[in-house]
Amino acid sequence: MFIRAPKDFWAGVMFLAFAAVTIVTANGYSMGRGGRMGPGYFPAMLGWALAFLGVVLVIRALVAKGESIEPIKLRPLLVLVASVLIFALAIQPLGLVISLVGTTFLSAFATPDARWREAAILSLALTGLVSLIFVFALRLPLPIWPSL
Amino acid sequence: MDVFSNILLGFGVALSPQNLVYCLIGSVLGTMVGVLPGIGPVTTVALLLPISFTLDPISALIMMAGIYYGAQYGGSTTAILINIPGEPSSVVTSLDGHQMARQGRAGPALGVAALSSFFAGCVAALLIAVGAPPLAQIALQFGPAEYFSLMVCGLVAAVVLAHGSIVKAIGMVILGLIFGLAGSDINSGVRRFTYGLQGLADGVEFVALSMAIYGLAEVAVNLEKKEVKSGIAQSIGRVLPSWADVRTCIPSVLRGTTLGSLLGVLPGGGALLASFAAYTLEKKVARAPRNFGQGDIRGVAAPEAANNAGAQTSMVPMLTLGIPSNPTMALMIAALMVHGVSPGPRVMTDRPELFWGIVASMWIANLMLVILNLPLVGLWVRLVRIPYRMMFVAIVAFCCVGTFTINSNTADLAVLAFFTVFGYICLKLGCEPAPLILGFVLGPMMEENLRRALLISRGDPAIFLSSPISIGFLLAAAFLLIVVAAPTIRRRRDEAMVE
Repeated sequence: MFIRAPKDFWAGVMFLAFAAVTIVTANGYSMGRGGRMGPGYFPAMLGWALAFLGVVLVIRALVAKGESIEPIKLRPLLVLVASVLIFALAIQPLGLVISLVGTTFLSAFATPDARWREAAILSLALTGLVSLIFVFALRLPLPIWPSL
Repeated sequence: MDVFSNILLGFGVALSPQNLVYCLIGSVLGTMVGVLPGIGPVTTVALLLPISFTLDPISALIMMAGIYYGAQYGGSTTAILINIPGEPSSVVTSLDGHQMARQGRAGPALGVAALSSFFAGCVAALLIAVGAPPLAQIALQFGPAEYFSLMVCGLVAAVVLAHGSIVKAIGMVILGLIFGLAGSDINSGVRRFTYGLQGLADGVEFVALSMAIYGLAEVAVNLEKKEVKSGIAQSIGRVLPSWADVRTCIPSVLRGTTLGSLLGVLPGGGALLASFAAYTLEKKVARAPRNFGQGDIRGVAAPEAANNAGAQTSMVPMLTLGIPSNPTMALMIAALMVHGVSPGPRVMTDRPELFWGIVASMWIANLMLVILNLPLVGLWVRLVRIPYRMMFVAIVAFCCVGTFTINSNTADLAVLAFFTVFGYICLKLGCEPAPLILGFVLGPMMEENLRRALLISRGDPAIFLSSPISIGFLLAAAFLLIVVAAPTIRRRRDEAMVE
C-alpha cells in the first residue's frame, strides 16, 4: 500500500467527506455577497477550508511516514451505541425505570469482563440512583412507568 | 464600585446557603473524579450539564467551577500515593511526588500539594478580581471586526497549544464550526444542515454532542485498553509538612503560581499546560536540579500551584470576553446561555453578582478543598478500587437520561448515538475533540460577527485591518501558526509534552 501514515490518511479522508457534504449542502442555500452574506456563505467558506486541510493530510500521509491506527475492538462501541438506541426506543412507551434497567444491564456487557450478577445489581442500583436524582430531587418531567 | 465592595458583594452571593451547598457538591465531585482515573472534569461537567440547567446560573457555575479545580486537588492524591495520575494535569506531580511516597514521605508530599494548590488558588482569585474588570472594560469597545479577529486568534491559540497534529486540530475546529451552524439561521430563517430532520431544527443539541464525545466515545476507547491494576497505598503519616519543607517550597510555589496564572489566561491554556511548564521551569532555575525525579519536594509544589492557578485563571477569557479557552469552559458557556446569560464583557456590568459570586466562590471552594483533601485523604484513595467496568455503566446511565431530559426528545438520543461513533472515530484517528467543542460553541458567534463586520464595510475585508486591536489579534494568530510550523520549536513543544 502507498499509505504511509494511516492515522493522518483516514483523518484526511474523514475531513474530505465532511467537507464534500458541507459544500454540497451550502450550495443549496443562497450565497449572497460579502457585504450581505447569505446563509450559504460562511458554511461554504468553512467547507472549502476543511477540504484543503483534508487534501493536505492525505498527500502528507502518502509522502511521510506516520502513526498507524491502534487495533479496533468493535464490541465496546457497538454495545454502547446499541444501549443508547434501545433507551431511545424504550423511554417513551416503557418509562424511565424499565428502559434504564435494560439499558444499563446491556451496556455492562460492553466489556468482556462483565459478570451477570454484578451487572444485574449494578443496573438496579444505578436506576434507583438516577431516578432519585432526576425525578425526585430535580423534579424533571420524565415518564417513570409505562404509559397505558 | 471598587474592588473591595465588589468582593463583598461576591461573598454575599457565594455564602448563601444554597450556593455553599453547590460549592461543596462541586468540590466533592471534583475531588472524586480527580482521584478516579478514566473520568475527568470535562466528562463530569458534561454529565452534569442537564442538572445545571435546572439550577440558577450562579449556583450552576459555582458547582462546575468547583468540579474543575477540585479535580486538580484530587488528581494529585493518587499521583503521589500510587503513581496513577487521576488527571493529565497531575502527571508531573507523580514524578517527584510518588518518589517521596516511596521514601516514606507521602504525608508531606500530599500536604505540600494541597497547600501550594490552596495558596495558588487564593492568589489567582485575587488576580482575577483585580485584572478582569479592566479587561472587560477594553472588551466593551470591541466591534464585530475585533470580535471576529479575537475568535480567530483564540481558536488558533487553542489549536497550537493542544497536543498532536496541528493540521488535524485546525480541521477539528472547522468541523466544530460547521456542526455549530446546523439549525435555523438567525438572519434568514433558513434551516441549514437539518436534512429534513425535525430533531435538528434547533441545531445539534450541545449536551448530546459533549456527552457523546467526552462520555461514551471516551468509554468506548477506554474499554479497549486493559484495566490498570492499582498499586497498594501505603501508610500516609503526618500530612503537615515541616517548616524546612515549607521554606524550600516557597520560591517554587511563587514561581508556579505566577506561571500558572499567566498560562491559564491564554486560550488553550489551563491546568494541563501550566503544570508541565512549571515543572520544566523549576528544573531550569532551581538549585541542585539533579534531585528532580528523585523525590524533590519542589517538583510537587510548583506544578501543583501552577495547575490550580491555571485552572482558575482560565475562567478569565470566558467571563470577560465570552471566549472559552478549553472544553470545560465551553461547557460552562453553554450552561450560561441556556439561562439567557450570554458570556462576555457585559456580564460584569449587567450581572455583577454572577461574576463576583464566582470569584468569591473560588476562595470558599479552595478552603473546602483543603479541608476535604488533607484529613480525608485516606477515604479518597479508596475510591481508586472502584473498577472501571462499574464506573462506565454509570456514565452510560447519566448520558442517556441526561440527554433525554433536555427536550424530552428521542431525536437527541439519536444525535448522542451518532456522535458517539463519530467521537470514537476521531479518537482513533488522533483527532483531538477539544478544538471541535470550542469551534462548536463559537461557530454561530463567529458567523454573526463576520457578517456584521462585512455589512458595515459593505463587503470589504479590509475592515479586519482597520483597527489596531483587530490587526493585533490577527498578527498574534499568524505569529502562533508560523512559530508552530517551524520544526525546531515544534520538536521542543513535543518534548515538553512528553516530559
